[in-house]
Amino acid sequence: MATQEDNLFEFAEFDEKESEHIAAPRYSYWKSVWRTFIRSRVTVPLAIFVIVLVAFALIQPLYSGYSPMVAPNINTPEMKYLPPSAQHIFGTDNIGNEVWDVVWAGARNSIIVSFISTTIIMVIGILVGALWGFSKKMDKWMIEVYNVLSNVPSLLLAMILSYVLGAGLGSLIFVMVCIDWIFVAYFIRTQVMIIRDREYNLASKCLGTGTFTMIKKNILPYLVSVIVTYISREIPVLISYEVFLSYLGLGLGSNYASLGRTISQYRSFMTGYPHLFWIPVLVLAAIAISLYVVGQKLADATDPRTHR
Amino acid sequence: MSEMTNREVLVSLRNVEISFDNGGKHKFKAVQDASFDIYKGETFALVGESGSGKTTIGRAIMRINELSAGEILFEGKRISGKISKQEDTDVIRSIQMIFQDPAASLNERATIEYIISEGLYNFHLYKNEQDRLEKVDRALEEVGLLPEHKSRYPHEFSGGQRQRVGIARALIMEPKLVVADEPISALDVSIRAQVLNLMNKLKNEKALTYLFIAHDLSVVRFIADRIAVIHLGRIVEIAETEELFAYPMHPYTISLLSAVPMPDPIIEKQREAIVYADATEEKTGPDYAMREIRPGHYVYCTPEQARTYAESVNQ
Amino acid sequence: MSDIIISAKDIEVQFRVRDNYLTAIRNVSLDLYEGETFAIVGESGSGKSVFTKTFTGMLESNGKITNGSIMYHGQDLTKLKTEKEWASIRGVKIATIFQDPMTSLNPIRTIGSQITEVIEKHQKLSKAEAKDQAISIMERVGIPNAAERFDNYPFQYSGGMRQRIVIAIALSCHPEILICDEPTTALDVTIQAQIIKLIKDLQKELGFTTIYITHDLGVVANVADRVGVMYGGQIIEYGTVNEIFYDPQHPYTWALLSALPQLGVKGEDLYYITGTPPSLYNKINGDAFAPRNPRALKIDFAQEPPFFKVSDTHYAKTWLLDPRAPKVEKPDAIKDLHEKILRMTSKGGAFHVGND
Repeated sequence: MATQEDNLFEFAEFDEKESEHIAAPRYSYWKSVWRTFIRSRVTVPLAIFVIVLVAFALIQPLYSGYSPMVAPNINTPEMKYLPPSAQHIFGTDNIGNEVWDVVWAGARNSIIVSFISTTIIMVIGILVGALWGFSKKMDKWMIEVYNVLSNVPSLLLAMILSYVLGAGLGSLIFVMVCIDWIFVAYFIRTQVMIIRDREYNLASKCLGTGTFTMIKKNILPYLVSVIVTYISREIPVLISYEVFLSYLGLGLGSNYASLGRTISQYRSFMTGYPHLFWIPVLVLAAIAISLYVVGQKLADATDPRTHR
Repeated sequence: MSEMTNREVLVSLRNVEISFDNGGKHKFKAVQDASFDIYKGETFALVGESGSGKTTIGRAIMRINELSAGEILFEGKRISGKISKQEDTDVIRSIQMIFQDPAASLNERATIEYIISEGLYNFHLYKNEQDRLEKVDRALEEVGLLPEHKSRYPHEFSGGQRQRVGIARALIMEPKLVVADEPISALDVSIRAQVLNLMNKLKNEKALTYLFIAHDLSVVRFIADRIAVIHLGRIVEIAETEELFAYPMHPYTISLLSAVPMPDPIIEKQREAIVYADATEEKTGPDYAMREIRPGHYVYCTPEQARTYAESVNQ
Repeated sequence: MSDIIISAKDIEVQFRVRDNYLTAIRNVSLDLYEGETFAIVGESGSGKSVFTKTFTGMLESNGKITNGSIMYHGQDLTKLKTEKEWASIRGVKIATIFQDPMTSLNPIRTIGSQITEVIEKHQKLSKAEAKDQAISIMERVGIPNAAERFDNYPFQYSGGMRQRIVIAIALSCHPEILICDEPTTALDVTIQAQIIKLIKDLQKELGFTTIYITHDLGVVANVADRVGVMYGGQIIEYGTVNEIFYDPQHPYTWALLSALPQLGVKGEDLYYITGTPPSLYNKINGDAFAPRNPRALKIDFAQEPPFFKVSDTHYAKTWLLDPRAPKVEKPDAIKDLHEKILRMTSKGGAFHVGND
């Protein structure tokens, strides 16, 4: 017993390199984002709900055979104004169309327009905004461009453009990009300016790193979280904006299914057949809000401060 | 001291003035009329307190701050103001910087491998991928880190380790001059000695020249060959380290020296810090100039003061 | 020795960080004597700040005292919960000065109004009397032209001047204990010397007890009567300031002293400590410093050392003091420390100033 205890008072081995090891498991940014994202109990079911909803809206109209240009039941009065039932899930409308089909066809176009516009807007906005934030020369004249563009009423711009270009999917996307890119660019510019002069960027400059590499390696990785936040707001906003423009008759033409125009048409039945008005509105709200919430959760997860 | 004059000058600052505009009328002169040479192979320390302009000078040599007057020469060629692209590339490769705060100066979203390779990528200083990885491994080893650290991110490291990553990324460029801007003041006390030792070791191995910026004379005594003391944007005294500590002359240098706390309770409790009376106002005038009091020992003073300083040494 | 004014016993502090618990303070006891200056030295993360925050109930909201007691005038401070219960102690009996003076000053109110507010709160004085008193306090802490600068805002003061104001505010209630939490770390060395002198002079005049937290042993030598060295959430050695500097016993104290650049010899390596402080998320077995100690014993990894008595005032928590332990000498750099520094600060030495 005594000898064993005496041994304890011998010198232990010492390895200088030993203290340099990092015991913690390897850190990976995207893995941590994923782990943080799925940790919340609300997010996972909601994310599944959003994916199913969007996928259904994209696929259902392909098989429903609905077209705004044909009204097969227009001369069948017994098919009109049917309330929701097992056969007619959302009921039928004033010209005997299945509201179910009408709504999903409209939702599909809204989603397509919003997703494509958001993609184009973000790509242009981030590229321009990053360069804008970096270059003091560019800032001088871009700020003037911004002052002009941001003061033109967007509705006016939408009106002019849609009259000039006509009312189609492509032109609606173009309208949205024209209205919105400058705001994204300005937002990114401000974000870039906040981190542009941080010391690690100075260090890169001292190593001779060029502007494009700096944007790619030093700036954008820091902006993932704010960009995801922006996108998660942008998509539902643009879905609603499509509805709004089409509601005013500035969006998709009458040959396209559109939630906005549907709501506009059904508005007159609000008192007699309220389901006709409320169903498309609620579907719109369900898509927009769930997309927004999931997007915000994702944005939170992309902020490394939430990582463990 | 005569051997001094024969030594090769690596960097030369000539009447450097750096001013910042804070909105039109008000011009703030951060550095005034700074002139000094840094010899090849030496550690030249620039010591001053916050707002003295020491970091501004360091960054001017890095070509981050522009001069409003004067010039900076590197190996005899002007590197301040507009220079050609080729010269710019050469300067970047030859002059590297170590930053004060290792937490702020490393890109948190990049792996250590990328951070250390960054300079190599920029100038394609490697034959192939394998060569680059070997260079990174060697750089890590030189600063006492391990090859397995390549895939880690800065936030996983301790302050001392991070600062060594900062040193590795600068030295992989094989620079001739390293500007070290208070490289240990943001580190924990127990880590500082290790980083200082490492910097000394690498300097000897790679025949580096350091411009070591510090706020504290105690660190500088250990690492520097020559010291310039800067106060309110003006260099007030330049001398070799031993000379400066043996015969400090400018009252500001003396107050700095007296303020270094000594780790000895009996002595420290008796020591009185000497307050520099002109701490907030610059002492200057037409009579003032950098005057050589003893060989290689310059003080910013008037001729009368110079005489007094010289006499005080002879006593 | 004078009376004990405050006595902390077996203090343990835990923080909840996300889902983990971090034990920042591990069973620390400390008796403070009236009128003394006790310095706590340690690097960041050693727990020196957290420990003293328990004296004023200022732990961050995720932190909790999970064990121990702090007895102060017959009252256990760990039992105080609400702001109201703390009101008669925090800032009144026990005041704190922080590293960054701006944490204690309101940037959008004048310096004068911030001092008078504190005076009026605790003494029944008229506005004019409070102002007079404020100006005299400002003068006392070394603000030139105090009357003129009474109506200035904090941003119009330099860092050193702001710290003087914070000291003025802290002392305006005549506290019994002043906690100085790295009050000069953010300041220039020449200003640091002045602030330290100010605190010492005021202490002589007003007789309060000081806890001085710092990582700088040079400052400790200047201010302290007694010293506690903290590492890994524990005090690992304490004693009078002379005992800690001239006869240190714990390898960590040795290392901290030896690594000071003031003691460096040009052309030779400085003594240095490898590795990093322990993570307080994990349970620490044995001596927390063992993994960084090249002369650690096997027992250091297995069993926590008790405090061994070196003298009546000097205790160290290291197995090296056990009679069974092998003899280990302190590093060369700190042998004959006093003689070395005497040489450095005498005529012809590197840190000699003045004409004597």
